[in-house]
Amino acid sequence: MGKKTCWVAILCSIFLNVVMLQWTIEAFFGKEFEHVYMYTIIAIASSFIALLFYGKWRKLDKHERA
Amino acid sequence: MVDEKKNQKRNQRKADDDMINLVDNLNRSEDLRFNRRAFLKSAVGASLTLGIATLPFSIKAMMDDGEDDSEKLEIAKLSELPKGESMEFHYPTDSEPALLVHTKNGELKAYNNKCTHLQCPVFYEKKEEVLLCPCHRGFFNVNSGQPMAGPPQRELPKILLEVKGDVVYAVGREVRHG
Ligand code: FES
Repeated sequence: MGKKTCWVAILCSIFLNVVMLQWTIEAFFGKEFEHVYMYTIIAIASSFIALLFYGKWRKLDKHERA
Repeated sequence: MVDEKKNQKRNQRKADDDMINLVDNLNRSEDLRFNRRAFLKSAVGASLTLGIATLPFSIKAMMDDGEDDSEKLEIAKLSELPKGESMEFHYPTDSEPALLVHTKNGELKAYNNKCTHLQCPVFYEKKEEVLLCPCHRGFFNVNSGQPMAGPPQRELPKILLEVKGDVVYAVGREVRHG
């Protein structure tokens, strides 16, 4: 898995989270609480994945320099 | 005071720091590399912030969950509300204003009348048979509560009614419908 993949994954996670935030708010005001929980879980998971990919990217970057 | 030693270290080549080589800024490839890293870091930060921003909604939702909207409440006498008229009441709680409309063709409709745009009160327009929010000219359909024109994007919460004899009761609420 290359550095490119990390970039793509992180940018995708931003995009996903923007959508999730919007949907969470929509669902919250519509009192569709199960959806609120679901979107929050997705958003947190995708943030976490972004973090993991960042760590991965750092590692690859260091490797490249060494 | 600036820590001289630390400063020295970060200004060396191959320093493991985002803001390096400020005295040696002609080294283009290093420059690019660390700019890229800083950018990626901010991107991850943005994603994290957005993700965490959804949390308060879930917490609030958990606190509100289980609250029941289905109390039966007497709201009006049918004889006091001729066709083409409307009246205000509160349902399900005292802080949630609602509007009961007796439409021209004799139907009873009720919605919470806080506009779904920025919460201004919504009124019944007899002539055009619409619900109008005067704040930014938002229009809602009287028969469905759905937004028709203007800024509102969501429907008004619909209040379920029951008529027994001359008395109109509110018996429940559907926030999302239609
Ligand atoms: S508050 Fe109703 S249209 Fe803006």
